[in-house]
Amino acid sequence: MHIVVTLKQVYDPNTPPAHLKIGKDGKTLELPAGMSQIINGYDANAVEEALKLKEKYGSTVTVLSVGDDSTRNCLRRAIGMGADRGVHISGPIGLNGDSHVIAKLLSAAIRKVPPVDLILCGRQASDTDAGQVPFLLAEELGFPVVSPVKHIHSIDAGSVIVDRITDGGRQRVRASLPALFGISNEINKPRPASLKGVMLAKKAEIPTWGLADLGMDEPQPALILRRLYIEPPSETRAELIAADSARAAGKALADKLHQEGMI
Amino acid sequence: MSGVLVFGAIAEGKLLGASLEVAAAGQGLARAMGVTLFGGLIGSDCASAAQLLAVAGVAELFVADNARHVPYVADLHIAAAEAIIRKCEPAVVLLPQTAETSEWVPALAARLNAAMATACTRLVYDGERVVVTRPVCGGAVQGEYAFNRPLQIATMSPGACAPIAPSDACPICPVAVPNVEPRVTVLEQVVDEANAGPRLNSARVVVSGGLGIGSRENWRLIDETAAALGAAIGATRAVVELGWVPSSRQVGFSGQKVSPELYIAVGISGAVHHLAGIAGAKTIVAINKDPEASIFRAARFGVIGDAKEIVPAFVERVKELRANQA
Repeated sequence: MHIVVTLKQVYDPNTPPAHLKIGKDGKTLELPAGMSQIINGYDANAVEEALKLKEKYGSTVTVLSVGDDSTRNCLRRAIGMGADRGVHISGPIGLNGDSHVIAKLLSAAIRKVPPVDLILCGRQASDTDAGQVPFLLAEELGFPVVSPVKHIHSIDAGSVIVDRITDGGRQRVRASLPALFGISNEINKPRPASLKGVMLAKKAEIPTWGLADLGMDEPQPALILRRLYIEPPSETRAELIAADSARAAGKALADKLHQEGMI
Repeated sequence: MSGVLVFGAIAEGKLLGASLEVAAAGQGLARAMGVTLFGGLIGSDCASAAQLLAVAGVAELFVADNARHVPYVADLHIAAAEAIIRKCEPAVVLLPQTAETSEWVPALAARLNAAMATACTRLVYDGERVVVTRPVCGGAVQGEYAFNRPLQIATMSPGACAPIAPSDACPICPVAVPNVEPRVTVLEQVVDEANAGPRLNSARVVVSGGLGIGSRENWRLIDETAAALGAAIGATRAVVELGWVPSSRQVGFSGQKVSPELYIAVGISGAVHHLAGIAGAKTIVAINKDPEASIFRAARFGVIGDAKEIVPAFVERVKELRANQA
């Protein structure tokens, strides 16, 4: 079984918001020096899940990522975790990475690698939170898609059974292979790269494929980023309910909300 | 192609309140573009939900009512939506952002080669294109995007607009759903015990807890408050990551976005990530030890102090007031 995992390199979502600045062009994010880029959290879950399937079914795992040269770092990290092969696809990155463009590039790359049985994508990226690439990619390739997935139950005879998160619960569904799943963080805890893995990843050859390698014209974005902006923090302050004791304040709050007709 | 089509969403057989917010957004857009506003609804046995959407300012409501739509499967919703879109050929399609629309709508947009934006908080027509605003970077940054395809689809965050005022009822047009074979089969549908009680996406009151609660044991403070108020229970990302509550409770940028009348934040500092999930809440009440906590900038009413002491007295008084009312 050949599994492809798609990765997006993102800025660390734990970066304090006060450190985020918008570039002069109004369309890029400027990060403080020394701030590292990481694998999108859900994508790391997707890598981990692929590795668990590899251990169980003897699969081969290929990781793909669209972005600039620095994107190789996240491919190396995935190889360090245990992925067999990585391909870097040169293309847009960050908040200007249009979902349609990314999906076109990924689908062209997937047609170039050995036939794929399963594609695992993170359900969405932590920077844009758009959650569109899995569906666009599945449509390009004609694969059924299920998202967000929190458990891969079993794979046999050309079909997979997974648990999809619903509003307030889950549904267990069956999809025929090849299929694409949007992976959610409930599914596992990504392993750290092993020492041996890190050594392997350092030596791993990671090819870069451009438009010419993929035999395609430059894809047209479906959404055009006009500007990014940061809203100034609110200057308003809550009306404070004060009383002689914490208990009295709790009671006073209930009375206040009652007066206001809220409870 | 012209016209704006707004889809309602159904949760547990009822029209989701956010549907009327999206209708309001659609009405504003249709007026700015000088085009007709249409309605769409996909469900099973959904006549009463259709009645509510028929008075949401739409000129005509297309309803795909079919038993196969419950339990939800993406392929059948996509087929129904395609049939409705063929009926009115809109330029813009708007829907509430829900767990279901997060799956089937991007897939529909992919199939129709439409431009799509998810979880938008603002929507304007600049005379040429529809421009949407959506929070990015954990809610710390706002992104403004213009659509670049003839067909434009957006899902809207809860609370992005005030709900539309009721209008005269419009004609309802049943739409036959093509008999497609879904590529995904539902084997089992389970509601989590942990998610009993009112749902975050439709509750009038939400009570949420953060790290300031102090410990997993103290979570009962949230449970008791929610029970006294008949409220849905929410949580911050930090609390979910500690495993105090399931991830389905998470309110925030990467969790659920909520738009209740009243949002009570207990022991929540108010990180942008969390605030991005409650922008649609009408009134926010904060209980927190730290007077400098950002939550007090977002809240209308606040109490500074230890939740462990404040909350039990609050709950006691709420019960008294409710008993007096009854």
